[in-house]
Amino acid sequence: MSLHDLIVAPFTYEFMRRGLLSAMFLGVSGGLLGCVLILRRMALMGDALSHSLLPGIAVAWLLFGTSTTALFFGGLVAGLLTAIGSALLSRLTRVKEDAAFGSLFVLFFGAGVALISKLPTRVNLADFLFGNVLGVSPSDLRLAMLVSLGTALVFVLFRRSILLETFDPVYHRATGGRGSLVHMGFLTLTVLNLVAAMQTMGVVLALGLFLLPAVSAYLWCDRFRSMLLLSVGIALAGSASGILLSFHAGLASGASIVLCLGAVFLGSVVLSPKYGAVTALRRGLAPRRHS
Amino acid sequence: MHTHENILQFRGVTVRYGRLTALEDITLDIPCGESTAVLGGNGAGKSTLLRSILGWQALSSGEIRVGDSHPHHARPRLAYVPQRHAVDWDFPITVRGVVEQGRYPSLGLFRGLSGADQERVNAAMEELGIADLADRQIRMLSGGQQQRVFLARAVAQGGDIFLLDEPFAGLDLFGSEELVHILKNWEKQGRTVLAAVHDLALAKACFSRGILLDTSLVASGPIAEVLTTANVDRAFRQGRCVHGDVHGGHHA
Repeated sequence: MSLHDLIVAPFTYEFMRRGLLSAMFLGVSGGLLGCVLILRRMALMGDALSHSLLPGIAVAWLLFGTSTTALFFGGLVAGLLTAIGSALLSRLTRVKEDAAFGSLFVLFFGAGVALISKLPTRVNLADFLFGNVLGVSPSDLRLAMLVSLGTALVFVLFRRSILLETFDPVYHRATGGRGSLVHMGFLTLTVLNLVAAMQTMGVVLALGLFLLPAVSAYLWCDRFRSMLLLSVGIALAGSASGILLSFHAGLASGASIVLCLGAVFLGSVVLSPKYGAVTALRRGLAPRRHS
Repeated sequence: MHTHENILQFRGVTVRYGRLTALEDITLDIPCGESTAVLGGNGAGKSTLLRSILGWQALSSGEIRVGDSHPHHARPRLAYVPQRHAVDWDFPITVRGVVEQGRYPSLGLFRGLSGADQERVNAAMEELGIADLADRQIRMLSGGQQQRVFLARAVAQGGDIFLLDEPFAGLDLFGSEELVHILKNWEKQGRTVLAAVHDLALAKACFSRGILLDTSLVASGPIAEVLTTANVDRAFRQGRCVHGDVHGGHHA
């Protein structure tokens, strides 16, 4: 197979171009959001949030068909319900927030799977869960572009608030920052991006596009800004190569993107000169400085 | 800027979290230009007192004034230093990056750090003796150096009232001595320091004034007068079980 066949030929297809663009747009915003998610230790919460979108999307599908707007708002409502519901549960009862989140998201996910298996059309559950690049419509692409540009704009405008709220929320508040506003805005952005990523990545795997680039960059960088940039770079490279892998190997697009990003992640874990496993082993697993 | 008039005034301040009373009817004056230790056992209201000065704690009753203003309007004067354990030391940020945050409140949405801002950042790092560590990631520092980074951020902010939440917690002997030295210097320069402190012996060595709390005010004034055996017994032994020597013989 020539280089042309490998890299250029797939994109003579319209749907491949749309899939690639959509994945790359989401790579930009996912790479940014992922950094904040992992630094705030919200990685698993993001995962739970992504699963909880399913019933919203299924209900929207039942009521309004395949309209991108309807699916988008369905997912958005379900995601926000989970986030707000678990916050309320943890305040009103003795159930802690992680348990509340965990319980609500399996409940929502179960309801979603049940609904989808009863959908009257020949909808493939696997497409919902793992993504299908063939299904990226022009309106899906528009949505991905809008969400991505919006996210990037928020990160540029509020870069200092985001850094402060992520690094030291107490100081942020002490200097007049609106912590809860930043937090809610961040959750909303996460849900928006998860919904926008659903078609290409699938509900279950969408978070991979957010987390894997960020964790990989975290292993290389000592500055927040360089971590953000590297994370976006890795997300872009991973989504492009993942789309190609999906085309040539006939794999679900979400799965192949996650596999490509996973390779970068594992490589970083092993090779990072400062924070990698090899370095740690070479140091004889010397204890780290106290915290 | 500094006068010796009372600048922090508490008048009948009560703070409740739900059914729990964290501070009860506190009336006191904290003079400017001196260092004051806020003392008391766990849950005595030390952190709540600091937070209420920052204006984040809705007061159930009473009033706090910073100089002539409500705490919200005095924000530029107040520099807060959080507890060490609240910091993620693995965060991808350098010493300079943390100290620069001190300038963020005075920047708008669009303006970046100006030359003047950079100078203040540099001056703060010089003052705290961490200029040569500017490009280090913050995990790669000793405990005392880490504490100085956060003090430098507070200095770079440009306030004159420093609120420190348990600054000695987690510091080793050397780090504590270093911090005592810095805080004494600050007092000489006329800076106002208000710090929540656990350790009574350290408080005696480092601060000129004390506020002893047990939800309500037990005593306030010059540190030696506050830390009498009778006061300490009242603050620590009422309703709570305390093991060992609370008078401070157990620590550096």
